[in-house]
Amino acid sequence: MDCVIRATGLTKKYGGLTAVDNVSFEVERGEIFGLLGPNGAGKTTTVEILEGMRSASEGTAVIDGTDVTKDPRGVKAKIGVQLQSSSFFSNLALVEIVSLFGHLYGQKVDAKDVLERVELLDKAKAQYRQLSGGQKQRLSIATALVNDPVVMFLDEPTTGLDPQARRHMWDLIKRLRADGKTIVMTTHYMEEAEELCDRVAIIDRGSIVSLDTPDSLIDSLLDTGFRKERMGKAANLEDVFLHLTGKSLRED
Amino acid sequence: MNPTLALTIASLKMYYRNRQAIFWTLVLPLMFIVIFGLLDFGAFSTVNMGLVDEADTPASEILTELLERMEDSEGSDEGGVIDLSVGNRDAEMRALEDGDRHIVIVIPPDFGESRDPVTVEAFYAEDRFQQADVGIGIVRGILDEFTLRSAKVQRQFLVESQAVESKGLEYVDFLVPGIIAMAIMQMGIFSVVFSLIQYRQQGVLRRLYATPIRPHNFLIGQVFTRLLVSIVQVVVLLGVGVLIFDVTVAGNFGYLFILAVLGGALFLAIGFVISGFAKNEEVGAPLANIIALPMMFLSGVFFPTDTLPGVLEDIVQYLPLTFLADGMREVAIQGASITEIPWEVLGMVVWLAIAFLAATRVFRWE
Repeated sequence: MDCVIRATGLTKKYGGLTAVDNVSFEVERGEIFGLLGPNGAGKTTTVEILEGMRSASEGTAVIDGTDVTKDPRGVKAKIGVQLQSSSFFSNLALVEIVSLFGHLYGQKVDAKDVLERVELLDKAKAQYRQLSGGQKQRLSIATALVNDPVVMFLDEPTTGLDPQARRHMWDLIKRLRADGKTIVMTTHYMEEAEELCDRVAIIDRGSIVSLDTPDSLIDSLLDTGFRKERMGKAANLEDVFLHLTGKSLRED
Repeated sequence: MNPTLALTIASLKMYYRNRQAIFWTLVLPLMFIVIFGLLDFGAFSTVNMGLVDEADTPASEILTELLERMEDSEGSDEGGVIDLSVGNRDAEMRALEDGDRHIVIVIPPDFGESRDPVTVEAFYAEDRFQQADVGIGIVRGILDEFTLRSAKVQRQFLVESQAVESKGLEYVDFLVPGIIAMAIMQMGIFSVVFSLIQYRQQGVLRRLYATPIRPHNFLIGQVFTRLLVSIVQVVVLLGVGVLIFDVTVAGNFGYLFILAVLGGALFLAIGFVISGFAKNEEVGAPLANIIALPMMFLSGVFFPTDTLPGVLEDIVQYLPLTFLADGMREVAIQGASITEIPWEVLGMVVWLAIAFLAATRVFRWE
């Protein structure tokens, strides 16, 4: 097993509050690893420690051979991030933003090529503020790609998107995995985790309560004798919505 | 391209594309120059003279005609020295009381007909004695001429007047360097406070923090852009002052640029301190105004600080904007060199050091 991220005993305390409590896990190269949990469970804090944006009170995390607690800048250079509440310079064109971010990693990137990968080439000359929500998320992915990262961290990449844009983002994330990227993502949507993640860790109150493939997690729940009160039909309302409105993007 | 250079270029592009920034840094100060320049506080106003001719004799007609001639341009391009109105005694005296006349001259009925000395009365508004003095002088001069002519006496003394080019400083000469200093202050404080708070609130800074750059990579670009803007402000505002208001620039532009950059850096540092303290614009905007507005009115931008009451003047002389405005004025108008204004330069350097230290302590990405 080729392990890209190894987090050991990560703990983050704010005064008397323990936001992340002794979290350990490993992420394999090339997999999509999901961090699931209710709001305030500690997902984002965990991710931010791994990203080198927040220091850990205790514990270590090594990403592709670099210890983030010792060399956060070294880790930042290797990873690509999409942050939950972030933005870009509103009056720069997308090509300008992408090549600027390339330079921040000391690299000259083909901005159009990167925009092409996230299907924003037709918006290359548009300014950031003119983008729809889904396009902004895709630009965010584009800026996370400029340094050809080993690991990508996507923090709630589909929150706030309509069903079409969400499916579109799923396709993009699957393509990234096919390109060999390791992806750590957080989400509130279980069907998203089921669709994308190879393994998920469920976090609650700062601790990992379970970690396995989505399939195994479901099986072990069923093994306890759990049954849904009402079995779902073969389709759900989202299927109806997409059937009626189509799968093409509506933001342009 | 290294990160600092890339961020500097991006920052220049963004500043150039930001219409609002251009309004605040150039258009608003220009409006100040035009409005206050046209008001021309320092100028001497025309003498409003009322003339009551109770004689209606050939002599009084000549006097009236001579005064009327002075109403037209007297070698100046700004109209005559006096603005003459002719009317009856009651109407003119009422106009004097109402403040519409500075002085009223009454020609007595026996003017030019009597062999005895006649008295021409002059009434003037006591609060406008300067204009009244000028008016009385003019009338007295004409009457003396009459006396000399009728007595057929040869003049013994002559005055020959000759115009000599002088610095002839006017209010606008005082105003423009002050407005430039004010514009640099506004640009330094407000452009930083608003853009930095916005970048932080929207998460632009967070996103930059997720890259391997250090704070200085980002801040150098921000500072460089705005220092460049401060030089543009000097060129544009002074240029307009010279072209439209005929402002006398005696000083060296190189020194003015040094002052602009020094002052710009100082106010930028103050802007960074404010944006470090203020979580959002609701806090940042009033805080910036509380600091900038009093300086704008007290630091000798619109009028000299020596018109302020004693204690206030003592305090005001140490304000950052006072140092910059005074320095600008010394260089632009008096033609001083940087070494001749050590007090102003020292004042700015000290403020810059204090603000810079504070700014590095309060800067945060989130």
